[in-house]
Amino acid sequence: MSNVVDESNFLSPMMDGGSGSMITKERRRSSVISMESGKTKYMPPWTTPYIIGIGGTSGSGKTSVAAKIVSSIDVPWTVLISMDNFYKPLNQEDRKRAFANEYDFDEPAAIDTDLAYECILSLKEGKKTTIPVYSFINHNRDPDKSINIYGASVIIIEGLYALYDKRLMDLMDLKIFVDADLDVCLARRLSRDIVSRGRDLAGCIQQWERFVKPDAVKYIRPTMGNADAIVPSLADNSVAVQLLISHIRIKLRLKSQEHLSELIKLGNSDLRDISTLNTVHVLEQTNQVRSIMTMLLDKNLKRDDFVFYFDRISSILVSNALNDIPIKELVTIETPEGNTINDAIKCDFNSVMAVNIIRSGDCFMRSLKNTIPSIVIGKLLIQSDSQTGEPQLHCEFLPPEIKEYKTVFLMEAHIITGAASIMAIQVLLDHDIPLENIKLVVFIATELGIKRILNAFNDKINIFAGKIVTTKEIQNEGCEWSITKFIDTRYFGCN
Amino acid sequence: MSTEPFKNVSLIAQSNQLLGLYTIIRDKNTSRPDFIFYSDRIIRLLVEEGLNHLPVKETIVETETNEKFDGVSFMGKICGVSIVRAGESMEQGLRDCCRSVRIGKILIQRDEETALPKLFYEKLPDDISERYVFLLDPMLATGGSAIMATDVLIKRGVKPERIFFLNLICSKEGIDKYHAAFPDVRIVTGAVDKGLDENKYLIPGLGDFGDRYYCI
Repeated sequence: MSNVVDESNFLSPMMDGGSGSMITKERRRSSVISMESGKTKYMPPWTTPYIIGIGGTSGSGKTSVAAKIVSSIDVPWTVLISMDNFYKPLNQEDRKRAFANEYDFDEPAAIDTDLAYECILSLKEGKKTTIPVYSFINHNRDPDKSINIYGASVIIIEGLYALYDKRLMDLMDLKIFVDADLDVCLARRLSRDIVSRGRDLAGCIQQWERFVKPDAVKYIRPTMGNADAIVPSLADNSVAVQLLISHIRIKLRLKSQEHLSELIKLGNSDLRDISTLNTVHVLEQTNQVRSIMTMLLDKNLKRDDFVFYFDRISSILVSNALNDIPIKELVTIETPEGNTINDAIKCDFNSVMAVNIIRSGDCFMRSLKNTIPSIVIGKLLIQSDSQTGEPQLHCEFLPPEIKEYKTVFLMEAHIITGAASIMAIQVLLDHDIPLENIKLVVFIATELGIKRILNAFNDKINIFAGKIVTTKEIQNEGCEWSITKFIDTRYFGCN
Repeated sequence: MSTEPFKNVSLIAQSNQLLGLYTIIRDKNTSRPDFIFYSDRIIRLLVEEGLNHLPVKETIVETETNEKFDGVSFMGKICGVSIVRAGESMEQGLRDCCRSVRIGKILIQRDEETALPKLFYEKLPDDISERYVFLLDPMLATGGSAIMATDVLIKRGVKPERIFFLNLICSKEGIDKYHAAFPDVRIVTGAVDKGLDENKYLIPGLGDFGDRYYCI
């Protein structure tokens, strides 16, 4: 899965149009928080995104090279950002000149390189980043539009001056220059500007002669020297592009192997007894809990019973996780008989929200709603790559004011490796939710999975589990069921 | 699940959540929909606590992965018995946990002439003597009607240790009086109030539960 983002194109759910353009402020605030609550041992793929810069003159075919790369590397969350998004907003006088085709859009000064650098740096740090949208119709930044990007593991920056600013280039892992003769560029440019951007021929030619061509010669062509690879654009460049794609694939495979091995390493040498930790809360194994567990593990249990009893145990789990909800305030109340109660504990149940990891976390939907009817529920789609097993973040749907919630329940029915939960927790941290506000609620978990999660976040994450199956139990008794996903399959009735 | 200072009383954990729920239902300004919702939440916790005390037997089941799993399953049958009218508010909470549970009813009213509780009506499953019984009445104040209802159950052959009396609020006086009559019945409650006023209402209490749940 891959997605292309430029000024007209934001297809993925991770890039929602928002109105905020306070990118600098937003980013600085996030960095501060990440320093405070950070120091986690987990590096998700998006904190080390692979960044590719593609430069070249106007009409040289940068976009088509970028599109080929995007469609060939099979990585969820490949983001294509056009440098056009970073055009400086014009003042009234400049805007008049722009409408009269007298403004030079092709010189480096037309681009807000500081902002471009800040945005790319923020993405490189794995933060949710807001990219402005430039409107060619109004020759200004669109005040009502912006693109939020988060979680990209490959970022392609494409534009005239992609290979111009040293700071920007230092963030790039691969720099590509697409080379084409200027007459070819002119032909492509004319058809694009007239057909898709609604300009007139005379204006376009005037612009080409006055600005585009001289700037290309003076500023852009020299950036070819900064490139790691130069791709010809005139003839069939598929061999050159294929070579680049092979190179990128090798790099990405290495990156994903590193990610996986880091994940596996977490917790492997942890020999502690986690039942002594005060952040790990396993449901008291009462007669009721044990009998429901037995029924749910019985493969002969009918599906409607499975759904019913899963709802039962998940209600117990959710309620258990709610027990130490923070006290909002102490209040004085009066009962209908006129008795006064001082210092009555008041809890704000609406300060709790949940984030379900699709699909298994959705098994908790009903019990969440039964416990707090108006609960806000976010979603994360994290899937393991079918070949490597590497967890990959595909989508995030989180409320914009997520930081306001005092408690965030992260729901997952079954934790085996812990990889998806670790990634999900990291997503919440990247949205500035303090670690101590996150409560991971799970029905069945393996000890190893729980240890990985604990180790990734320095034992600071609170975990509420229905049952934790120990490594010893798995070694001695098999307990194959504890390492085989079956809960959401049974609950939803489809594989 | 502290039973101090009472024997045979299960007081559910006094967590922030539970105390927060009680604050809502005790407040006279709470709207009826909220009163019902939050009472139902507490009732659910009471029912679940009651179910924890039922005996189980070892059971082996086969898992999806074709392994044997040594688990447990509930032994014996249960039924609910609600004291009409307020006790009926707790039936749904029981049904939410035990879908097809049988529910008997006992109507006890104060006799206008003698001012003592009088049994007006009972409808119980025929085989109630073989069942575990959840007796439902939201408030245990003086214990008068609960004692009378329990008496009906015992006369029908139910063993006292198989009766669980579920209520949202009780008083020390009520517990003592009830246990003086039936020491072997387990009381499952969420709050023990300070005492009773001159009208024998719980202090601080929450008003008339039945009225708040059904009428006002």
